[in-house]
Amino acid sequence: MPVLAQTFEQAGLNTVLVTMMPYWAEKMGTPRTLGVEVPFGHPLGSPGDRAMQVMIIGAALSLLERAQQPGAVSDVQVQWPQPPDEARKDWQPLEASPIIKMIRDQAQARAEARRQET
Amino acid sequence: MRGVTPAGAKNGWQTVNDSRTRIAVELCGDKPRNRMPVDSFKYLPRSIAAYYQTLRADRADPIPWTPLSKPLSQCRFALVTTAGIYEKGRDAPFDAEREKREPMWGDPTYRRIRRDVAQGQIGASHLHINNRDILADVNIVLPLDRFAELETEEVIGSLAPTAYSFMGYQPNTSEWRERYGPEVAGLLKDEAVDAVLLTPA
Repeated sequence: MPVLAQTFEQAGLNTVLVTMMPYWAEKMGTPRTLGVEVPFGHPLGSPGDRAMQVMIIGAALSLLERAQQPGAVSDVQVQWPQPPDEARKDWQPLEASPIIKMIRDQAQARAEARRQET
Repeated sequence: MRGVTPAGAKNGWQTVNDSRTRIAVELCGDKPRNRMPVDSFKYLPRSIAAYYQTLRADRADPIPWTPLSKPLSQCRFALVTTAGIYEKGRDAPFDAEREKREPMWGDPTYRRIRRDVAQGQIGASHLHINNRDILADVNIVLPLDRFAELETEEVIGSLAPTAYSFMGYQPNTSEWRERYGPEVAGLLKDEAVDAVLLTPA
């Protein structure tokens, strides 16, 4: 998504990226990044939690308004309603994504090949 | 908090004045990076976190920059997400079938989403997250209701008629850079958009 922020900014638009992965946004060079510690798929908070959504959006608008230079980074603190271990599982797809399946299959095939060699 | 909580703002938006948000706000401005307490890897399985930490970023240099030229209360906003959502019955889902056949490929196209779309019309075709919460409340990735409220409260000038959705799994971003990104930038400008809120999934 930093690529889209860069492309839009280049075209003369003002952008603010709200992300749970500020590490990557910063590494890529993003005009304005608001980091928020939430599970993937939930950049603006919990479903139905208007107060949390309002708080994160408010922080994004403040960053947009106040940032003076490219690469501006800020963050907003939120209290996620689930324990981390539960949240870490809960955002993930029920079925592993194709790339994860492919990596697992390759690892299994290598293990199988090693077994046959011995 | 000028602009974000104008005099007369109604319930809800005042909460951005709470002390936690004020701390966040004070971190930006002229000194954008005093600390980074957000742990980007907190919710990632260890194997994916390790993978991310080895990825080389193709960093933009210089980082593109357009200074904000007017108060938020005069800006037209648009929403853009990479949550892979679409309007059921109006648009096709993203091409998940090809991604299943070619796991190193992600659909680089985009979908238009009308600002007055009903929650029940939202479809989600992202294979890398559980889409359940987005299908319960699209505002967690595309805050159409929240921005309509901001428009009513005159915190922002307006919300554009059209939002845009991409699918965030992109092992190769060249089509975004060269084709679809500039195309959507043009569509945003056609609707006189000034500022864009971007939300990955």
